Amino acid sequence: MRPILLQGHERSLTQIKFNREGDLLFSASKDHVINVWFTDNGERLGTYDGHNGTVWTIDVDSQSTFLVSGSADNLMKLWSVQTGKCLFTWEFNTAVKRVAFSETDDQIVCVTEQRMGYQGAIWIFDINREGDGTQQSKEPANMFHPVGSKATLCAFAHVPGMIVTGHESGKVALFDAKTGEEVQSNERAHMDVVTDLQLSSDRSYFVTSSKDKTARLHETKTLEVLKTYTTETPLNSAALSPGKPYVLLGGGQEAMSVTTTSLRQGKFETRFWHKIFEEEIGRVKGHFGPINTIAVSPKGDCYASGGEDGFVRVHHYDESYFRAKPYGDLEVDE
Amino acid sequence: EDAAEESNVSAELVALRKRLVDEWNAWRKRCKEEIADERKRRGKKADVDSDEQKEEEKEEIE
Repeated sequence: MRPILLQGHERSLTQIKFNREGDLLFSASKDHVINVWFTDNGERLGTYDGHNGTVWTIDVDSQSTFLVSGSADNLMKLWSVQTGKCLFTWEFNTAVKRVAFSETDDQIVCVTEQRMGYQGAIWIFDINREGDGTQQSKEPANMFHPVGSKATLCAFAHVPGMIVTGHESGKVALFDAKTGEEVQSNERAHMDVVTDLQLSSDRSYFVTSSKDKTARLHETKTLEVLKTYTTETPLNSAALSPGKPYVLLGGGQEAMSVTTTSLRQGKFETRFWHKIFEEEIGRVKGHFGPINTIAVSPKGDCYASGGEDGFVRVHHYDESYFRAKPYGDLEVDE
Repeated sequence: EDAAEESNVSAELVALRKRLVDEWNAWRKRCKEEIADERKRRGKKADVDSDEQKEEEKEEIE
């Protein structure tokens, strides 16, 4: 394993994302700045400067043309990946906590926070990909207020017009984007806040992490829990690993309640779990604080973690990782 | 080293893992078929233009 330390953020990381080719890594932080890095050597390619608050969330489209970001400054911004210019800004009454592109890059879904008399909301915007990207509509294509527990995570689900959400209460749900109707829900998916939600490449299943110290694999269509990965620390992020039947988990509690270093060690490691067998396989050390966000390259050749410590660590797998068959010759479908 | 580890794994565990993988693979197969059907169904509804687009997408995914 070849770890590269990406230094450039001044505060903790909130979300990191690879582009489809896996050659670029985008990072969002509480320092208000978004950075883009070359995955291969860790060099910084550029920054996306313009937010005036914690950047909570980012997503890049499948063509690496547009980047979208959501921030505590109540703005959602569309950026040109290549030039770093902000192309369009949407304004809301509260912070934007999660953004995501649709499979075909023609829509964005975002969730805005419930706060100060404002209801939490899910917004869907059509993205005009013609021209230079600056001609966007301020008006959403759809908007709805999820009932019950506050939504913190959202993404386009397995079929068009369907949004999958993660909630503060531990619930995951499916909403019809047009009607705002909750078509499916699992109230007890987790026992505490759902902190991350990442879909498989065909969106037929997804992994969630939670403060309840577990990560879970869910079938998108039914929201049925397929697998559970039980750890001993609150989790902030869970990622699927293309090419290998693994899930990567990260989290950890801040040092405040922990007194001895021996206890602290191990809390801030990226944990590799077998996706099917629900067994821990290994851990990777590195961060000096909780791991806030994990992403795996779509090519499956490396992964990255972003920490409360302000660092991003990129790990390129060795040849031995690809050769290794810790469970024999069983072939697991993606 | 690997071989030594493998011999420690009981026959029951090997059988359990095989069953879990078989179940998973069967479910994945069903999912992939459903997705292909869904795409076909949607492709028929859409106009010719987006129909072609769908074909291109499919090729990439495969």
